[in-house]
Amino acid sequence: MNISFEESWLHKVNPALKLITLTFLFVFVVMIHHLNDMITFTFTVSILFFFCTGHSYKRILLFLIPFLLVFFSTAVSMILFGKGETTLFKLGIVNVTEESLFRGLHLGFRALVFAMMGMTFVLTTKPVLLFYSLMQQLKLQPKYAYSFMAAIRLMPIMFEELQTILDAQKVRGVHSQKGIRSLLKDIKSLPIPLLSQSIRRAFRIAVAMEAKRFNSTNERTYYYHLGFSIFDLLFIGYFILMISLGYLFATEFPLFPVTDVRY
Amino acid sequence: MECIASVNKLRLKFPEEKGLLFKDLSISFQEGEKVLLLGPSGCGKSTLLQVLSGLIPQSIDIPIKSESIQIPYSWGFVFQDPDSQFCMPYVDEEIAFVLENLQIPREEMTVKIKELLTTVGLCLDDIHTEIQTLSGGMKQRLALATVLALDPEVIFLDEPTALIDEEGTAEVWDTVKAISKDKTIIIVEHKIDQIIDVIDRVIVFTHDGKIMADGNSTYIFSNFKEELKRFGIWYPSAWEEYKKEKVQNTLTKHSDSLLRLENFRGYRKKENAITLEKAAVHSGEWIAVTGANGAGKSTLLLSLMQLLKTSGDYRIDGCSIKSFADLNNRAYFVFQNPEYQFLTNSVLEEITYELRQRNEESHADVFKKANDLLTIFGLKDKQKQHPYHLSLGEKRRLSVATAFIQNPQVLLLDEPTFGQDSKNTFKLLELLQEESQKGTIIIMVTHDLNIIHHFATTVWKVKNGKVITDWKKDDMKTGSEGDVYEYIF
Repeated sequence: MNISFEESWLHKVNPALKLITLTFLFVFVVMIHHLNDMITFTFTVSILFFFCTGHSYKRILLFLIPFLLVFFSTAVSMILFGKGETTLFKLGIVNVTEESLFRGLHLGFRALVFAMMGMTFVLTTKPVLLFYSLMQQLKLQPKYAYSFMAAIRLMPIMFEELQTILDAQKVRGVHSQKGIRSLLKDIKSLPIPLLSQSIRRAFRIAVAMEAKRFNSTNERTYYYHLGFSIFDLLFIGYFILMISLGYLFATEFPLFPVTDVRY
Repeated sequence: MECIASVNKLRLKFPEEKGLLFKDLSISFQEGEKVLLLGPSGCGKSTLLQVLSGLIPQSIDIPIKSESIQIPYSWGFVFQDPDSQFCMPYVDEEIAFVLENLQIPREEMTVKIKELLTTVGLCLDDIHTEIQTLSGGMKQRLALATVLALDPEVIFLDEPTALIDEEGTAEVWDTVKAISKDKTIIIVEHKIDQIIDVIDRVIVFTHDGKIMADGNSTYIFSNFKEELKRFGIWYPSAWEEYKKEKVQNTLTKHSDSLLRLENFRGYRKKENAITLEKAAVHSGEWIAVTGANGAGKSTLLLSLMQLLKTSGDYRIDGCSIKSFADLNNRAYFVFQNPEYQFLTNSVLEEITYELRQRNEESHADVFKKANDLLTIFGLKDKQKQHPYHLSLGEKRRLSVATAFIQNPQVLLLDEPTFGQDSKNTFKLLELLQEESQKGTIIIMVTHDLNIIHHFATTVWKVKNGKVITDWKKDDMKTGSEGDVYEYIF
């Protein structure tokens, strides 16, 4: 679970602010209907994703593989089967039109941007700090924040447990037969032991937390203080500047002669 | 001395059970007392701790009734399972969680965290260490540190060492001794030889939650030995008494070597995790696998069961074993947590599962076999129950019974006596002994020196991923117990 990376300036951005900004940008992306704007915005996000997360390029490129797959699969299905008037190529049910080509590219970029924004957030935010920030800046109730943090702690334990259960059942001859039917049967035998252990563990942790005087109504102090800094300004400023520049660029030097991809 | 915690005429009933667990129980504790609660499993010792701390009914929803109840002004609670009492991923964050709850200012936290860690003897290079990387003993000491952060008058300890190894147990009790000076300590524990010298009061419960005896430890252990034995409590000389009563395991020498290993290696994530150069095991041998935490004992068993990738020459009964399929029911692995291996909805279905799957024997034969085994294992009248509803000891016995019914030539067990009371432990060991006398090879991970002494015929020591096989148990017997201890760890 432990992967090494350098802390970049994106790590220092307030996690709650980062979350809100990115949520806002998600909505913003859905409202972009011009392919040229979409391309410049993709460029804006990829700069952050490639150069500012503090992770090695090797890892970043590795993460990019599934994203490119998403890009192509989204784009290609729209390009090949979408509606349009100016036919470029036709074979059987495949009908590539100029409109569907642009709309396909547009959708592909949208999927790519979603993936890159999400990944940039995950790569530069520690879960514990995110919840501390949500408690301090957005007044999230501690009982929710600490339940989530406890759940995150339990995940690696659960994965380890899953492996042990698989082994233990293999000894009893459960996972020996091949074929889809026995595979389904095998999958059926996993949730009960896994859930029974998890429920028990969750209950015990809850009791242990209360034994440590956790009380959601009391005031509390925070081990990590999260406030705002110059990096937050930089983060928001970056997007405002780049989106404006991108808009200008897209209108002055359009790469494609389309205005609106909607049909 | 002042009374610090008490309950008067307590009545408590679990929703799913018929009778009352406690019927008018009255008990009180004085300031500074070190009290040990003893009793058979299921007598309500842990429940009583939870009542005295107020966890019942505040956090755990069980209705109680009492004339009066005095809960200490400040208290801390250490639980049994080291993995399910922390909610944060890092050591410093976990202690900080308690400090936050107490509204300690942020600036004072780091100093306090370091102080607490030093008090419990956890010297970490970096306080921001992942809890997951700590050993069981270290985790329980961290739990003690979080308890001390509450600055408690009373510390409740609910079998804090039941799930950790011998080494960790010693660490935990040393820490408890060091911090207990002017605190009241109330302990529930089965294995008591390490704490007996700090205890000044022992309370023994009967199986139906009544107080049978209450007094200082010398009084209790000299006057109530028979009862303690019957309840399965590990009283100080339990093993010596047992030894006197039972015959020693005498190995009938078999000249054949049923299991052969040469240059045997097991791999985890393509890395060589365990190496065994050469070994020949005769039928009927009982091998105790021992070594420190993380040395590779479980890895060895998983490799022998072919659940990890292996290389080298591995033969059982002359057949070369290269994969799980090659084992072909010659070997069986009993995992530490029996629940992982339960697949069906009743004890009877559970024990006959493999035989019914294989469909080689007639229905009547299978059920006769199952019935015989259930009788031997004392599970006959539970055969319709769901395996999850059995007690810890019964679950363990059922998981071993499912192994026995298939007559494996090699039986692998991962700490089968962990957290069991003496009655269950002796019963299980006797059953295993009978099986080994029929010729089954038993390979068992254990930390318990007494088991190594009285039952094992051979000891394999695992150190840093290497198995040392060439020393006989007789070597150990000559030395005193202390020497042996050093020899192993």
